[in-house]
Amino acid sequence: MNVTLPPGAGLENVDAEQVKTFKDFLISYNKLAELCFTDCVSDFTSRNIKGSEDRCALNCLEKFLKVNQRISQRFQEFQMLANENAIAAAQKLGQNPT
Amino acid sequence: MAESDAQKLQLMQELEIEMMADMYNRLTTACHKKCIPPVYNDAEIAKGEAVCIDRCVAKFLDIHERIGKKLGQLSMQDEQLLKK
Repeated sequence: MNVTLPPGAGLENVDAEQVKTFKDFLISYNKLAELCFTDCVSDFTSRNIKGSEDRCALNCLEKFLKVNQRISQRFQEFQMLANENAIAAAQKLGQNPT
Repeated sequence: MAESDAQKLQLMQELEIEMMADMYNRLTTACHKKCIPPVYNDAEIAKGEAVCIDRCVAKFLDIHERIGKKLGQLSMQDEQLLKK
């Protein structure tokens, strides 16, 4: 599976799968920006982004990615376990047919 | 006939994948919200947060399964009631 659209790719050979991946990427980008903005920026006495706000937003981004990675790992583990259980159950059913 | 059955099966499979993706997105949002406080002095996941995430994922999937079972039971009851 392709990850993201390469920049300047010819639009004529973009398949539906790539469009979907790109769309998912944009959605999570927007969600991430919203999350880090709401969590890090709450002072509007100045137009400029403070050093602390910048640091907070970048930490927020990095942590978000790490958290997502961890959740994905755990999810996959559960998925594998569920699969193994389903296979074991199917085999059991096959061994003693009623 | 066989063709439309295959199409139906494919549609069902696509729906299931979409449903899984939606569930996964909800899980991610929920566990992030519950386990990561909005203070970003550090980009690392703290020990306690990591434990929280692990438990959150496990519990979310557990509840998901339980709700699914109960929902199945209820709809079975409904169907049987309608048959009577």
